[in-house]
Amino acid sequence: MIVAEQKSLEEIKKLLAPYEKVLIVGCGTCVTVCFAGGEKEVSILASALRMATGLEGKPKQILEATVQRQCEYEYNEAVADKLKEVDVVLSLACGIGVQTMNEQFKQIATLPGLNTTFLGQPTEQGVWAERCQACGDCVLATTGGICPIARCSKSLLNGPCGGSQNGKCEINPEVTCAWNEIYDRMKALGRLQEMLEVTPSKDWRTSRDGGPRKIIREDLRLTK
Amino acid sequence: MHYVKQLLDQIGLGGDRVEMFFLSSSEGAHFAEICWEMTERIRRLGPNPLGGHCATLPTDTEGGRSE
Repeated sequence: MIVAEQKSLEEIKKLLAPYEKVLIVGCGTCVTVCFAGGEKEVSILASALRMATGLEGKPKQILEATVQRQCEYEYNEAVADKLKEVDVVLSLACGIGVQTMNEQFKQIATLPGLNTTFLGQPTEQGVWAERCQACGDCVLATTGGICPIARCSKSLLNGPCGGSQNGKCEINPEVTCAWNEIYDRMKALGRLQEMLEVTPSKDWRTSRDGGPRKIIREDLRLTK
Repeated sequence: MHYVKQLLDQIGLGGDRVEMFFLSSSEGAHFAEICWEMTERIRRLGPNPLGGHCATLPTDTEGGRSE
C-alpha cells in the first residue's frame, strides 16, 4: 500500500491560513488502512481545526468528506457539489489523490494534508516498513522475494557491502541488512548457488531515472 | 492516550485535561482519589478556553463518506 503520515496541525494551519471555508477530503483506500487519511482521520482533523482556529478567534468552517479512491476521477465526482461551498480543499489522500483533485477541479486549489512516504507493508500493529520502490524492473525472483532496491540502504544488486554487521546495516543498528536476509532466505530455499552469479548493472531508465513514467494499455482504452 | 494528549496540546486546549486511569469496580476509595486529583488539576488549569464557543463553531452537518 501507499503509506503516508499526516502533516502537523501547525503546518496544516499555516497552509489554510488564507482561507475561511475548507473541505477536508479523505481517501478510503491506502491512507485509510495506514490510519493517515481515512474517514476517521478526516473527522479528527476537522474537529481539531475547528477548536484550534476557534481558540485563535478566527474559527474556520470545516466540511468533511471521504471518497473511496481519490486517485480516480469517477469517485471524486461525489464531492463536486461541496466544492461550491468552500474556498479550498485539504486532501488527506496521498500525493496522487491531491494531484487528481487539482487536475479534475481546476477552479479550486487542493492542498496536501499528508506527507506521502513510501510503498510498504504493515509489519505489525502500528508499524509500516518500506517494501517497494516501484523501480519498474522487478528483481524479486532472483533475491528470494526480498527487495534489495527498497530494503538495502545502497540498493545494491550484489550485496552485502562491508557495512553489514551481525545482520544489521551500518546506517542504523535497528535496520536489518537486506542482503543478510536475502542470503538466509536463499539458503532456506536451497538456492545459495544462484548467489554466485553476478547481477549486471541495472537499467534504471525503468525507474525515476527515465523521467515520469506512464503505462498505456491499448487493449483497455476506449476508442473515440 | 498519548496521541489524544498530544493532539489537545497541538490544538491549544492542553493535554493535561484528559487522563486515563485503570481501576476495578471495587476500588471506591481509589476512584474518589482520582476524582479529587482531576478536579484539582482542572481547577488549576482553569476553564475550557473555548468556553461555550465550541458548540457554536461552524460545522458540517453532513460529514461522512461520499460514495
